[in-house]
Amino acid sequence: MIEIRNLSFARGNDLIFKNISLEVKHGEMMVLKGANGQGKTTLLSNILNFLDPLEGEIIYDGRVIDNATSSKYFLYIGENNFAYDELSLNDNIKYWLAVHNVNFSQEVRDKSIKFLFDELNLNKKFYQLSYGQKKKLQLLLLMLVNKPVWILDDPFNGLDNKTIEKIIILLTKKLENNGLILISSHQDVLTLEHKIFQL
Amino acid sequence: MIKNVLKLIKNEFLLMLRGSIFTIVLFSLLLIASSIFSLAIRNITYDIEITIAFLWIIIFFISLIKVEKVYANDFSEAKLQQYILSPFALEIIVFIKNIMIYLNLIFVFIIFSPLILIILGIKLSYLIPINLLLILSLLSIIFISSMTASITISKNNKLSITSVLTLPLFVPILIFSMALTEIVNFQISKLYLFFIAYFLLNLAFSPLLTSFALKRLSV
Repeated sequence: MIEIRNLSFARGNDLIFKNISLEVKHGEMMVLKGANGQGKTTLLSNILNFLDPLEGEIIYDGRVIDNATSSKYFLYIGENNFAYDELSLNDNIKYWLAVHNVNFSQEVRDKSIKFLFDELNLNKKFYQLSYGQKKKLQLLLLMLVNKPVWILDDPFNGLDNKTIEKIIILLTKKLENNGLILISSHQDVLTLEHKIFQL
Repeated sequence: MIKNVLKLIKNEFLLMLRGSIFTIVLFSLLLIASSIFSLAIRNITYDIEITIAFLWIIIFFISLIKVEKVYANDFSEAKLQQYILSPFALEIIVFIKNIMIYLNLIFVFIIFSPLILIILGIKLSYLIPINLLLILSLLSIIFISSMTASITISKNNKLSITSVLTLPLFVPILIFSMALTEIVNFQISKLYLFFIAYFLLNLAFSPLLTSFALKRLSV
């Protein structure tokens, strides 16, 4: 369970949010809503321990979140792409799976790639892909990196309906497996049961 | 875990090879700068120390530019977030990247060095000592440059200026490099041990400080 108690965050003299408290249990999904600049991404960054809050605390399964906790339990897919433009799609997949210390057989990897991409030349350089395809590569980690908590920042942005449906299938499976999902999103595409937190 | 560290090294090596074009461009600029330097002082009698000092300063700048470029690309916010969430310590990733930058620069320098020495009018008998000196000193230069780069690429522009604080760390390398050139034919001397010792010292704190600066300033 992620528990946020009286969290406030400021950048310089700008108070981004104040006294936020929320709770998300395993098997639940929470969607953060709010206009641009309300601090959705900043809140996620606080949860991931990328940023230090001004006040308050964030607790995961009874422990205050630190670097070790976040790297062990959290998988984060942000808005910006992390892949290397100069590497092929295949090399990027291998590289980022190695970074996350994941080993998969070629068969499992191919199956996951096929699920998200249908048909794709894996030898294509990353910069040759469209925005949507680039986004899919990031989301591929959801299928291959096994961590109990998914933190997703605007995951549906730039995706077609067919891919959104596939992501919803992944989210459903995650919740069935007692995973915990935190999403920030502008789009109302989620057909799954979820909590909403308005910033 | 070891299997994935090896995969990581292999992929970093791939990235390093792809980045070689930029290193070649930098060393081509060194060739041009060396030609201009030689032409400018063609009528002056000078000792080898002046030429070596020129070479060292240019290589120092090349290393800084290369490290800066790699860090700006490889530690952009999105990539850095994934590295932080990786089971590997960021220090390990910083270390692997630094070593790859080092190999890249050394490899290209070894290829270019005979030409550079000819242009600068340095005897080719100095080729091996100069390469050896560079192989030893560049390790420390890269690790110190990584600290500089991790601060300069930070989101906070005002803080970037603090990267100049790391510059004095380069001074001992330049001083000892010059001291070595004063020894006839760069004879094997205890001075070489300084570079190894200085590198070990840098190795102890540079990846820690670099990753600390990356975590605190660039996410």
